[in-house]
Amino acid sequence: MKRFCTPVTCLLAALALVPALGFAQVPAGYPASYADTIAAAKKEGKVVIYSTTDTASANPLINDFKTLYPGISVEYNDMNSTEVYNRFISERAASAGSADVLWSSSMDLQIKLVNDGSAMAYASPEIPNLPAWSVWKNEAYGTTYEPIAIVYNKRLLSGDEIPQSHADLVRVFTQKADKLKGKVTTYDVEKSGVGFMLITQDSKQNPQFWDLAKALGVVGPRFQSSAGTMMERISSGENLLGFNIFYSYAALRAKKDPSIGIVLPKDYTLVMSRVMFASKTAKNPNAAKLWVDYVLSKRGQTIIANAAELGSTRSDVQGEMTVAGFQKTLGAGAKPIPVGPELLGFLDQTKRLEFIKQWQAAIKGTK
Amino acid sequence: MRGSLPRAAVIGLTALAVFLPLGLIFYQSALNAPFFMPPRTLGSGAFEFIFADSDFWDSFKNSMIIAASMALIAVPLGGILAFLMVRTDLPGRQWIEPLLLIPVFVSPMVLAFGYVVSAGPVGFYSVWAKQLFGGVPWNVYSLTGIAIIAGLTHVPHVYLYSSSALKSLGSDVEEAARMAGSSPFQVARDVSLPMVTPSLLFSGVLVFFLGFEIFGLPLVLGDPEGHLVLATYLYKLTNKLGTPSYHLMAAVAVCIVAVTFPLVMLQRYLLKNAGKYITVKGKAGRQRPLPLGQWRWVAAALLVLWLFLTVVVPLSGIALRAFVSNWGEGVNILEVLTTEHFREVFNQPTLVRGILNTVLIGVIGGGIAVVCYTAVGLATHRKPDGWSRFVDYLVLVPRAVPGLLAGLAFLWVFLFFPPLAPLRSTIFSVWIAYTVVWLAYGMRLVSSSLLQVGPELEEAARSAGASRGRVSRDVTLPLIRYGLLASWLLVFMIFEREYSTGVYLLGPGTEVIGSLLVSLWGTGGADMVAALSLINVVLVAVGLTVALRFGVKLHD
Repeated sequence: MKRFCTPVTCLLAALALVPALGFAQVPAGYPASYADTIAAAKKEGKVVIYSTTDTASANPLINDFKTLYPGISVEYNDMNSTEVYNRFISERAASAGSADVLWSSSMDLQIKLVNDGSAMAYASPEIPNLPAWSVWKNEAYGTTYEPIAIVYNKRLLSGDEIPQSHADLVRVFTQKADKLKGKVTTYDVEKSGVGFMLITQDSKQNPQFWDLAKALGVVGPRFQSSAGTMMERISSGENLLGFNIFYSYAALRAKKDPSIGIVLPKDYTLVMSRVMFASKTAKNPNAAKLWVDYVLSKRGQTIIANAAELGSTRSDVQGEMTVAGFQKTLGAGAKPIPVGPELLGFLDQTKRLEFIKQWQAAIKGTK
Repeated sequence: MRGSLPRAAVIGLTALAVFLPLGLIFYQSALNAPFFMPPRTLGSGAFEFIFADSDFWDSFKNSMIIAASMALIAVPLGGILAFLMVRTDLPGRQWIEPLLLIPVFVSPMVLAFGYVVSAGPVGFYSVWAKQLFGGVPWNVYSLTGIAIIAGLTHVPHVYLYSSSALKSLGSDVEEAARMAGSSPFQVARDVSLPMVTPSLLFSGVLVFFLGFEIFGLPLVLGDPEGHLVLATYLYKLTNKLGTPSYHLMAAVAVCIVAVTFPLVMLQRYLLKNAGKYITVKGKAGRQRPLPLGQWRWVAAALLVLWLFLTVVVPLSGIALRAFVSNWGEGVNILEVLTTEHFREVFNQPTLVRGILNTVLIGVIGGGIAVVCYTAVGLATHRKPDGWSRFVDYLVLVPRAVPGLLAGLAFLWVFLFFPPLAPLRSTIFSVWIAYTVVWLAYGMRLVSSSLLQVGPELEEAARSAGASRGRVSRDVTLPLIRYGLLASWLLVFMIFEREYSTGVYLLGPGTEVIGSLLVSLWGTGGADMVAALSLINVVLVAVGLTVALRFGVKLHD
């Protein structure tokens, strides 16, 4: 009760808020009614986010969002993709408080949630500025542009030992089998949902995919469940070469770690995008809309490209980690994984287990 | 029920805390989808799936091998260490004891990570070995490697149980044996250790339990060569079908419980004879340390070797990793030194909150947990009726459930049981999960103290007209107070290092270092993992030092 304000302090507090409100104008190009959304969001006062993007990377975004919309706090929870999914479905079933916004690198699980009717139908005013592959049903949005790379140990590999493309991986595995024996690493597709998604996308893009699997089997691969573990081992020299690692993670690590070398495959480069949607049952639906729009906006994407270093999907954002920036190295080889229902295919149990079996058989050389 | 209302309340609450989550797991295993999703139906599909999966049988076999090797390694070594530390004049006993306990309070995730950095194929020690012998004579990623590491790191569990029993022995029989010409080793094997058989058997069975639940070590060390144990198989099932397969995970958990139940029976059978081993009498004999003679250097060497392998190797690895940006063959360590990782940790509010929560749950939560364990212990103490037998089985049950899934079950309880819902996002949810998961462990601590109180002391008080409550308050509790303080210390350390139980409860407000480590490891933050691990180790070391300074000793 001590904080109960007198009329005078109330007035002062209200006056102090005026300049703050002034910042939160309707962004250029948005409908005028957006002012109502902003006002409602202010009343909600916060937005709860479940995300796989670690807090350190997301902090620049969160801080800028708070500057743009003072009075709306961001409850940001980073966890792994399975936890994001598990928490959300169980909290939803219990009608307990859950996230307003879900943001995950596990594209297929996000699409499944949207497909199951968990997302709020919300056409962001930013849609005209986004590539078509990154938007599904006015519900799910691809927010980042992250090429999938080959990572190697710079101290211990050189010259023609460094593969330049997927086709080249087969050559290196075959020619340098002795040196690479037990030292090639990639995702364990049974343990990592992201790893599985990437390898199935590879199987669609790469005409020699099964040759690659066989060649990989010859060098006795080490399967890991996370990119961090793979890079830790590559950096130490325990492993020498890894593939299907997010460029964003590798680049971040390479900055601090001179042992890490990165190759963007020349024949084709998969590009994944963290999928974001606002929950249909969000407790703070307006704040959720504001957050989604902000992340997709030029301002948000500029931070995603340059401060969070995750890569921007927008063509009007400047910087290295953008579509245009990557275009220079990737050319026509960039293959963004479309945000859409085709990702659901391999979530089918039978199909999934069948693929895993086939992949394991190819590696064992029994196929 | 014979006895008082408090007794009924204690037993009832314990049963509820154990059976509610366990019941959910059993129920879940009999469904074909998450129990809260509408299209679920009853069926045995989950069991059919895992029984048809060759990975299940491989991991089952590996779990058996690891659990058995752990017991085979940890029980003799732990017993001998306890004998050396408690009964002999081994040099430097006072300062060695805190070191002995390090593997208990360091999370296995941390230890495993430490072994990778120091003894993995290109670890610091491995590179030295390569220079010395031209090759690395060990492989920490092999099943044998994992089993040996698991065994060595569980020696302290046995040590703690057997040393507290040994402390209460009179030394007259040992002296007699020594005078009759036995070597110290013979005294240990033929006199001292047989006298603490109940403690050794309990710890053996417990280590076997722990072996079945072991998760962190095989998660990190088993990955490169693909060695699975039941807990990591269970974890793998989270993603194998793309969407979380709770029914399969629950089915594996049920299989684990099915294995541990016969062990509980075995323990019951062993307990029946516990009366033979009462060692604290009204007239206790004076204790004198046994002179080791020329054997003392052999004993010291054994101890130092074990300390080196179990403590120095992994911890030096993790400490080094926390201060370098990268490492490995051909890296000059002096060029890559940095304190950046710690700055990063303290810049993240979640991690800072996690550190604070970890301290809270250890100190305050650990204390409250010991109070709960003591209440349960007293509810069954010297009351050999059906209810006591029931509680004896009851307390062993939750430990048999893998922490990972127990945590998940508690999340369900907090989600779907509305009165508890407001507690879900507070550290209380993690505390209750920890307290129940470690019930067996805490109860053993408390009840091994209780077992040593000779019945004649309590009977004397009863004959003098004291009520049951009065006897507990004025006779039993004061007699076991050192045991309880030691239990608090031990529970503190266990809560500090617990990691798997908190994973599914992790959220804003419930961060603890253990679950943050698993989460960060999963997202690839090796730098943060190393820095946080070191902070965790330092926290506990500080706590332990403070406790020792204030006179809380593990021996009285």
